[in-house]
Amino acid sequence: MTDDELRAEVEAWLAEHWRGLPAHHESFGRDPRSAWLAEVRDAGWAVPRWPTDRWGRGLSNDQAKIVERAFAAAGAPGAGQDRTNLWANTALAHATEGFRGQIVPQLLAGEVGMCLLYSEPGAGSDLAAIRTRADKVDGGWRVTGQKVWTSGAAVADYGMLIARTDWDVPKHRGISFFFLPMKQPGVEVRPLRQITDEAHFSEVFITEAFVPDDHLLGPLNGGWGVLQTALAYERSVMGDAARGPRSGAGGPKGDYSLLGLAREAGRIDDPVVRQQVAQAIAWRALNRLNTARAKAELAQGTSSPIMSLGKLAMSRILHEEARVRTLLLGAESLLQGPDHPRAEDANFLTLNAYFTSIGGGTDQIQRNIIGERVLDLPREPEVDRTLPFREVRAG
Amino acid sequence: MTDTLLRPAPPAALTHEERSALIDSVRRLLADRCTEGDVRRIIDSDSGHDPALWRALVDLGIAGLTVPEAHGGAGLGATELELVMEEAGAVLLPAPLVSAAIAATLVPDLDGLATGERIAAVAFTGRHGWTGRDTVTVAGGRVTGTARFVADAAIADTILVAADEGVFAVEVADARITPLPVFDRTRRMADVAIDAPARQVADAGVIAKARDIGVVALAGEQAGGARRMLEMTVAYARDRHQFGRAIGSFQAIKHMAADLLLESESATSAARDAARQLADGSTTADAAVALAAFACADAFVRVAKDGIQMHGGIAFTWDHPAHLYLRRARSGAQLFGDSDRWRDRYLAALEAQA
Repeated sequence: MTDDELRAEVEAWLAEHWRGLPAHHESFGRDPRSAWLAEVRDAGWAVPRWPTDRWGRGLSNDQAKIVERAFAAAGAPGAGQDRTNLWANTALAHATEGFRGQIVPQLLAGEVGMCLLYSEPGAGSDLAAIRTRADKVDGGWRVTGQKVWTSGAAVADYGMLIARTDWDVPKHRGISFFFLPMKQPGVEVRPLRQITDEAHFSEVFITEAFVPDDHLLGPLNGGWGVLQTALAYERSVMGDAARGPRSGAGGPKGDYSLLGLAREAGRIDDPVVRQQVAQAIAWRALNRLNTARAKAELAQGTSSPIMSLGKLAMSRILHEEARVRTLLLGAESLLQGPDHPRAEDANFLTLNAYFTSIGGGTDQIQRNIIGERVLDLPREPEVDRTLPFREVRAG
Repeated sequence: MTDTLLRPAPPAALTHEERSALIDSVRRLLADRCTEGDVRRIIDSDSGHDPALWRALVDLGIAGLTVPEAHGGAGLGATELELVMEEAGAVLLPAPLVSAAIAATLVPDLDGLATGERIAAVAFTGRHGWTGRDTVTVAGGRVTGTARFVADAAIADTILVAADEGVFAVEVADARITPLPVFDRTRRMADVAIDAPARQVADAGVIAKARDIGVVALAGEQAGGARRMLEMTVAYARDRHQFGRAIGSFQAIKHMAADLLLESESATSAARDAARQLADGSTTADAAVALAAFACADAFVRVAKDGIQMHGGIAFTWDHPAHLYLRRARSGAQLFGDSDRWRDRYLAALEAQA
C-alpha cells in the first residue's frame, strides 16, 4: 500500500466513524472513551506497527506515523498506542498466550483500569530491594506486602506488580512480575496526601491476595527484566510531559508565560529579572531543541544519547521556572487560595517540580543511568549485588 | 547590472551524505595537521598563525566555505559552516575561520577571500561594537580612531570596519596594529589604530547578518570544544583509578559528567538550530542566534571548568591540554559580547515575537 492510499484509507475511516467524545477523561482507571477506543482497536489503528494477527496492521514506523497524524489532525484519540501504551506493550511482550489474548484488547480500549505496584516504603531508588512476597499456592500465588506511590489504585482493575518469589538468590534474581487483580478482599487502597495537598497517589496494602498462574508475566524470577521494558516506556513519556499550573487558565490576565507574568508584574524592565526570565525560558527552549534533534537523529538511524537527558533537563526547567515565578511575584507569593491564582500557581509549581525530579527515578538515579549507560562509566560497587536477598541489611 | 545579478545566489543545499563527506574530510585534515602538538607549536609562535595549515584549509574549500561560488568560494551556508566549526572547535584549530565567515557575508566579492590569499579581520564598532572601548568614527571622508580587540588583525591583509555608517575596507598599511598579550593564544587579537580614507565596500544593513554568521560559527566552535573536553574528561574518569576504583564510578564524578553531557548536547542543539534558522532566513532567527550565543558560551566555559576539576591535579599542569580549552572557552565568551548581553537580546527578540 502506498503512503497516499494509506492516508486516504485512514481519513475515510475517520470521516465515517469519528463523532467526537465526552469531554472528561482520566488517564488511570476505566476510560470513558472505551467505546471509541474499541472501534479504533478493531480497525487496527490503535497499534498500526503490530502484526495483523496481533491487533495491528504490520505497518512500518513511517506509515504508522501517517495514521497517527491523520488521527491527530481529526482530534481523535487512540492511534499509535504501540508507542505510548505502557500496559499493552508490556502485556504484548511478556504475557502468556492465553492471558495476552484476553487482556491486550481490553487495555487498548481502556476497558480495564491499571496501576503500578512497584515502589515500597523500603524500596524507592533501590527498587530491587522490594519485600512484598508472592508465595506459590494451588493454581496461583498468594501476595502480601505494601506498595506506595500508586496512581489510580482506587479505580484500577489490575496492578502491574513486582513481588519477591525467591529469597535465597541475589535481589535482582528473585523477583517476578504479575498482573494483580485489584478488586479482591486482600487489597486495600488508602489515599496518600502530597505536599501539594493533592492526593494523586495511594498506598496499597496487600494481604494474602490471590494471583492466578497465568497472570505471571515473563519467566518466574525473571521479573526484573520485564520491569525494565515497562520503566523505559514510563521514562520516555516523562521527559516530554510536565504539568502546567493547577488553576489552568493562569494569571488574572490569562497570560501564563514567564514573559507574560514579568510584564504583568511590571518587572520586565528590571535587568536582573530579565536575566533570570531569559535563562529560564532558555532551559525549556534548549530541551525542545534537544528533543527535536534526538528525534531527527533517530529517524536517520543514528543512535542519540539525548533522549535520556530529557527527564533530567525537565527537572531543572520546572524548579527554575517556579523559582523565577516566585521572584516575579515577590510578597504576593506568600499567599494562597482561589483569590490569589498567581501565587497558587507559583507555590504549586514549586512543590510539584519534585514530581519530576523525584518521581520515576530521582535526578540522582537519572544521573547514574546517564553516566553508566550513555557515558559508559563504571557502576558503583554494590555490597548487596551478589548476596542472597535474605542476608541483605535493610532499614 | 540586472537585479538577478545583484541578488546573491542562495547557498547550495547539501544532502545528508554530502554533508557527512565534507565533515569527514575536515576531520581527517585536522587529525593530520592540527594535533595537540601542532596547536602548541602554533600558539607558541609569534603570529599564532600557520600559513601551511591555512593553505590546506583553503585547498579543502574551508576558508571560502560561505563565499558564493560566483566569487570562487564553496557557496555553502550557515548549516555547513556551523558543522565545520564544531570540528575546528574540537581540536582548538588556530585559524581565522570566524573572521573569514563574517568577511564573506560583509563583502562576498572581496578579492582573494575565497582563495585565502587575503585574510580579512573585522572590527565591529558603533552599534555593533562589543568591547565598549573603541573610538572609531567615520567623518569627512576618513575613518579614524582605534578599534580594540580585533580578532586576527595582526595576520590580516585588510581590516573591514563595520561602522554605523557602513562597512569600510582599510588596508593594513593605513593602520597601526598592536597585537595584544591574550590569555587564549589560539585566538589572537590586536588593537587597530586607523587613519585612512573611508573606502566603503558595503552598506551598514549587512552588518547584523554578518555578525550573526560570526556568532553561529563561534557557537559551533564552542559546542565542538565542549564535546571534546567532555569526551576527554569521561575517558580519563574511566581510566584513572583511586581507592582501587575508576574515579568515574564515584557518583561525585559521574553526576558531574551527566550534567555536563546535558550542557554539551544542549549547546550542539542550539548552535545547529541557529545555523539552520539563519540558512532558512527564518523570522525567529534573531532569538535562535541569541540563544546559541549564550547557551554555547556558557556550556563551553562550564564543561571546561568542571572538566579540569574532574581530572584533578593532572589538568592543573601546563602540559595537559585541558587549560587550553578553558582559555578558548573564556575568549569565546567575550567575543561579540558576553552572555548577559545575549540573554537580554534573547528576551528582547522573544518580546518582539509576542
